[in-house]
Amino acid sequence: MWSDPPRTALDQFCFMACTDTGLKHLAGLLDDPANDAKPYEDLAREAMQHQTDDYIRPHMTEAGLASWPLDPLVDRGYLYCEPWGVVRQAFAPHQLAIKQYADHADLHYGEWDAHRTVYLDGRSLPRDQPHTPLGFSIGHYEGDTLVVETTRVTEGDGTFLVWDGRHSDQVTIVERYRRPTPQRLELTATLTDPWALREPIELKKVWRYAPDQEIGPYDSCEPAAAKPTEAKTQ
Amino acid sequence: MKPMPLVSLAFAVLAASALAPAAAHHSFAAVFDGSKTVTIDGTIKEFRFVNPHALATIDVADDKGAVQPWIVEFDGRLNLTNFGWTDATLKPGERVKISGNPERTGAPRIFFSKLVRADGTEVVRGGDRLNEIEEDRRLRAAQRAAPTPAK
Repeated sequence: MWSDPPRTALDQFCFMACTDTGLKHLAGLLDDPANDAKPYEDLAREAMQHQTDDYIRPHMTEAGLASWPLDPLVDRGYLYCEPWGVVRQAFAPHQLAIKQYADHADLHYGEWDAHRTVYLDGRSLPRDQPHTPLGFSIGHYEGDTLVVETTRVTEGDGTFLVWDGRHSDQVTIVERYRRPTPQRLELTATLTDPWALREPIELKKVWRYAPDQEIGPYDSCEPAAAKPTEAKTQ
Repeated sequence: MKPMPLVSLAFAVLAASALAPAAAHHSFAAVFDGSKTVTIDGTIKEFRFVNPHALATIDVADDKGAVQPWIVEFDGRLNLTNFGWTDATLKPGERVKISGNPERTGAPRIFFSKLVRADGTEVVRGGDRLNEIEEDRRLRAAQRAAPTPAK
């Protein structure tokens, strides 16, 4: 079982997701003696803004920017108890359990008690597979790195905080999971969406080993509103 | 019960990265007034250690003895387990003082920030996570200040 990041200043910045741009900026702030007396919150906030201005926004298309940032009052999870799509789920906070079998892996998340299946049997990405919120995932190993490719994703919300706009059903994700130490799991993901992104973005995340934790039922969410009919993103 | 899956996320971020802009555009601000804090003094009637949010009902008596049940909303079970909480962290019948942000509508409902037990021990939201981050910063600063060994 994995859970929230190690409690260091840099790792906590990747609580949801982060970028090299943001991490580099935060490291610079942390290493400046002039900032030693400033609260961590202020430094993290500045790095987040830098990450948005210098990396995320320049990568977004006009259509993507038009949907960004999401309005919390129309958030689908909040209003309709609608489980997240894969873009948001892959960067979900809290628990993540990965079980590997002969021909597939199961990624089990605390948020929404969601399961993702990653096929490891060498099959190709199917062209006729229906689109679903969590998409269709195949995977393979490159050395000690698990590489997961996901397509056939229905349009949905991007990641919390870092890329919190809408994405289209053309979105693809390539996730690379690596365990550099027994206590640490790292994700580097490349996200592509010709509707929302001018060019791919690379997001990162980190978990710490948490063998004593467990995933509990996600059973106390009730919708606050009726789901309206919506226009598609394309 | 109100659905607020995103409140836990907004708070998770506040507790971890403390990125105020995040809270500004997630659902917490729409429901609770983060600029205000209220404290209630009462007896725990029920504690539900559930997702997406743990909930407690606290019976609060006024000066005349009339009891008003208050709802206290916490981070979800997912997040609370990171701080060592269990379903026995709060026990029915226990007398507590709880501080938190009030709901904007004036309803008897708050989002948890601190609890003081009858023996004076405190439970603070987020546990010692921010303290550990600050300790990590102190270590970074100490390494930066240490003289480079001569070759």
